[in-house]
Amino acid sequence: MLTIENTSRRRARDYESERRASSKKGRRKINFSLLNIGKGIDIPFVLLIFVLLAIGITMMFSASYPVAYYEIGDSYYYLKRQLIFALIGLVVMIAVSFVDYHYYHRFAAIILGISYFALVLVLVLPSQEGGVHRWIGVGMFGIQASEISKFAIILFMAHWGSRYYDRMDTLKYGVLPGAAVFLSTAFLLLFEPHYSCIVIIGILTVVMMYVSGIKIKWLAIGAAVLAVLILLLWVTGMLTYAMERMDGWGQALSDDLDRDMWNSTWQTRNSLYAIGSGGLFGLGLGQSRQKYLYLPEPQNDFIFAIVCEELGLVGAVLILLIFALLVWRGIIISLRARDRFGKLLGIGLTTHIGLQVVLNILVITDWLPNTGISLPFFSYGGSSLLTLMFEMGVILAVSRTSNIEKS
Amino acid sequence: MGANQKLRRRTVWLLIIVLAVGFGAVITRLAYLQLVQGEELQRRAIEQQLADTPISAKRGTIYDTKGKILAQSASVWQVVMAPAYFDDGAEGDEQRSFVASRLASILDLDEAELLEDTKQNTYYVSVKRKVESEQKEQIIELQKELAEKYQKPGIISLLDDYKRYYPYSDLASSVIGFTGSEDQGLWGVEYQYNDYLSGTPGRIISAQNGIQTEMPFDYNQNIGAIDGSSVVLTIDETVQSIVEKYMKQGIIDNQVHERGVCIVMNVNNGEIVAMASVNGFDLNDPFTILPDQKKEIEAIDLDYLIKHDYFEEDEDPYKLSEEKKKELIEQAQNEAESAALARNWRNKAISDTYYPGSVFKMVTLSMALQEGVVNKDSRFVCSGAFQLYEDTIHCHNTAGHGTQTYQECLWNSCNPGFIQIGQLVGKTKFWEYYQAFGFSDKTGIDLPGESEDQFFVHDGVEGNMLDTDLAVASFGQNFSITPIQMITAASAVANGGKIVQPHVVKQILDNEGNVVKNASTETKRQVISESVSEEMRGIMEENCISGSGKNGYVAGYRVGGKTGTSEKLIDVNDDGADDYIASFCGFAPANNPQYAALVFFDAPLGGNYYGSAVAAPVFASIMSEVLPYLEVAAQYTDEEASNIDTAAGAYSGMSVDDAVAAAERDGFTVTVKGEGSTVVSQNPSTGASMPTGGTIVLYTDQSGTDEKVTVPNLVGFSVSEVNGIASSYGLNVSVTGMVSSSDSTSTTQSVPEGTEVAPGTVITVTFSGGGIAD
Repeated sequence: MLTIENTSRRRARDYESERRASSKKGRRKINFSLLNIGKGIDIPFVLLIFVLLAIGITMMFSASYPVAYYEIGDSYYYLKRQLIFALIGLVVMIAVSFVDYHYYHRFAAIILGISYFALVLVLVLPSQEGGVHRWIGVGMFGIQASEISKFAIILFMAHWGSRYYDRMDTLKYGVLPGAAVFLSTAFLLLFEPHYSCIVIIGILTVVMMYVSGIKIKWLAIGAAVLAVLILLLWVTGMLTYAMERMDGWGQALSDDLDRDMWNSTWQTRNSLYAIGSGGLFGLGLGQSRQKYLYLPEPQNDFIFAIVCEELGLVGAVLILLIFALLVWRGIIISLRARDRFGKLLGIGLTTHIGLQVVLNILVITDWLPNTGISLPFFSYGGSSLLTLMFEMGVILAVSRTSNIEKS
Repeated sequence: MGANQKLRRRTVWLLIIVLAVGFGAVITRLAYLQLVQGEELQRRAIEQQLADTPISAKRGTIYDTKGKILAQSASVWQVVMAPAYFDDGAEGDEQRSFVASRLASILDLDEAELLEDTKQNTYYVSVKRKVESEQKEQIIELQKELAEKYQKPGIISLLDDYKRYYPYSDLASSVIGFTGSEDQGLWGVEYQYNDYLSGTPGRIISAQNGIQTEMPFDYNQNIGAIDGSSVVLTIDETVQSIVEKYMKQGIIDNQVHERGVCIVMNVNNGEIVAMASVNGFDLNDPFTILPDQKKEIEAIDLDYLIKHDYFEEDEDPYKLSEEKKKELIEQAQNEAESAALARNWRNKAISDTYYPGSVFKMVTLSMALQEGVVNKDSRFVCSGAFQLYEDTIHCHNTAGHGTQTYQECLWNSCNPGFIQIGQLVGKTKFWEYYQAFGFSDKTGIDLPGESEDQFFVHDGVEGNMLDTDLAVASFGQNFSITPIQMITAASAVANGGKIVQPHVVKQILDNEGNVVKNASTETKRQVISESVSEEMRGIMEENCISGSGKNGYVAGYRVGGKTGTSEKLIDVNDDGADDYIASFCGFAPANNPQYAALVFFDAPLGGNYYGSAVAAPVFASIMSEVLPYLEVAAQYTDEEASNIDTAAGAYSGMSVDDAVAAAERDGFTVTVKGEGSTVVSQNPSTGASMPTGGTIVLYTDQSGTDEKVTVPNLVGFSVSEVNGIASSYGLNVSVTGMVSSSDSTSTTQSVPEGTEVAPGTVITVTFSGGGIAD
């Protein structure tokens, strides 16, 4: 009896706080004042961001200067731009950290709408290199539609999970909305195409459902359906076909490649050469050889291969540890958030970072097909860096509400 | 459980999964790639990052003993291609066909094959080696075109390469040998000393970026090629030339069917001064057969096929389809061409085995003397034949030599006499000495292709001889040895009984000229005593003065030697009679031997096949030129002194009167040509060897220098007759060979009849006694 009573009372309190948080009137005074820049935000998390950004920009410069030298004639081309993006990004991050994230409650649906619009728009716009439809806008002002989608889905799932937290164990509230949002977004992404983003969005959706409290059985059913689907594809031979079509995935080191395969596996092969060349301690900062036009676009998705080549396994693992600390700190921040929306939003965004890191490295090590997943803080690119810093700002905003001891 | 608690628990699980599974997998994967696969991946990375271009090492030079160049590498170029730089798609296909067609026309290569090469995905394909400078210029033009047309100058490049040149073309060809397309030694010294000569190829390792333009920094490593060491032969080009000149003449004069061999060896240290298998082949073009051979091969027809067993017994050659016939003829032609090449390359001096014949008698007698089984009281009776059980062994002198001392047996080259000497030695001792003289093993000369002997084998035991075997073996029949074994044994007979190691390489020099290795004299064993050797020298010298070897006599040089005529038991020219090998092996000077020479004609078909008639005069001609050149001191008899040559003095620049006076004072007959007051040139030139009392022509202007004399026939006359004819033509004669004998006639002349020469030219005429059977 006591348990039931306690539980129901706690539920009532939770609900009340959620309700209050989502309404302007009931919001408690939190330290969102511009004059308290350092106050309220989680200092370890900020430090980790600075460290990663510093290492990231350094490595991006090291990886990019030969390409910049040969293709643009200015070794500092990418560095200069990335520094500008980083500065803007830091400003954005700090600014966003002052925005009370509860505002986003009301934008959840709107942003999801914008995401769908962007996904449709991008299909109408002319295609980019390789025949893909991914970017809206041009050059420095371009953004990948999928970047919006990822944030939109995290935000929506956090919004939904906190709003109907007590009904998450039902099919109707717990499973169907998430599934619907994921499937519709995935459907549009199929046309871009952008398979890796489908995978990321899928995992993020499942993660958000899971932490929001849906029944494990639905996850199990989902996993079973996925398994059956894969088995079916495998039996019909379509999986092998698909794998073969995926630019020679897993065959980069084969000795027996025709010219087409040789070309399509070129980037992955050279990524592996770079990683392998690093050994335990690496060739030394700036000493990569593979960045000399062997590894195409070393400043983008494959930057970590150059990191591995220059800093070795030791350097790579250290950087991964910093990422792990960031994830860990992000989760701590999230768990200590005052309300469920903050918790879910923080968890979703933090998971996104971790997921990007893991998937990116699995791609450059040829365990996943080469499908365009950038490495947070490292990969060159204005819009993705700005998006990332915006998301970091949101996590910092959440940290202001969390009950972490602050100096 | 509260929703927050659930969220907390699930989040912790999530964190664990992301960190443990996600990051764990990533770190595991990286560790595997960097630590386990790292080395292999790095190797493959470096392979593409470094343009690794081999640089040919310059092959070492082969010198003769005096430092004359016998084989040398000269700079040429190698054309290489980096097909990985071709573009993809239609553009790339166009580039490929352009490059293939241009290369094909410049370098005379097959276009289709080149097109296949352009499709490879590598940075190094060797297109053609040993490209000469004219083609190199065209390749440079092509590079410029590629740069302008496709911005791809790096597809074709030129590397240093070397080509082998042999300045003396066919001289000592089977000894020097030649190299293959990859500069590897294939034959002769080139093969035997390939490791020294070839050097170590170098590499240029330069960092290249992914599109092969320059790196922004210097990143070149040049591992220089280490040029090959040079080899100094014991062969002396001058001696070799003299040898080959007379051997060629001997082959023509005696219609020798299976080529000839001459070896000149230093008896004391084993250095081979000359080794000729004549006729040789052009080292600059070793894969081309001689015109005569080509004619023969082209003449191959059905009859040839029938004769050479190209058909099965049940096949009827005359019912062949044209196609089959053509195929068989082609096959026969290919086989004949290979055989012709092998024949040309064959170093008969070490590869041929033959019955040594009577030359071997010097070995038999040495054994007998060393064993003490003959002495001054020994007598050997020859009745013209020797009866051994059922066999009758004939002597060349069917009338018989009567009763002889052992010396006389050798001088007469008497077979029955030697059968008896052999019997005194006995089978066991004979086999022991045979081994000790080095006949049972290869000599180990530093040349490829040495053959082994074939001695008697009974009941599977080598050296197990029957009585008849011993009988014929004592005069050198029915067992086969190589010429190099024979001369090595003869050297031992002459040099005091030492078997020395014959060798053709004296020194190896590194690419800076420092001596890397010196061949030292290697004495294998003492086979007979110094005193036996001394006695043998005396017997053999006498043999060349009054015995069967007198055609080998060389005035002034105390030659010792022995003739040989051995049965080949093969009929090379299908005339129904087995053919012979005529040989002569001798040394000089007999009182202190320095050089031995073996002359060997395989199947002379010119009517005369005796060693004394065919080989001995050639030996004498060769030695008469070689010994003075090798600075062997002459020791003339009084009679010979009258024919001694002297050196022409220096008369150019003197006034005519002074010059005539000076030349006459020197003992020459003088002829002045032209109207000038000063001598401008002379023939023979200053220092040239000419007979005392010979004619010297002094030119006072250019008018007389075009005047020519036609050389008359000087063969078949006595010494005084030759001198008479020569002086009537205004020519000088240098007399050599057997002139002491009353029945000496001239056998060869150094300048052939009918040649136009300047007056006063010295012609060497060789004399010999009558044809003496051995």
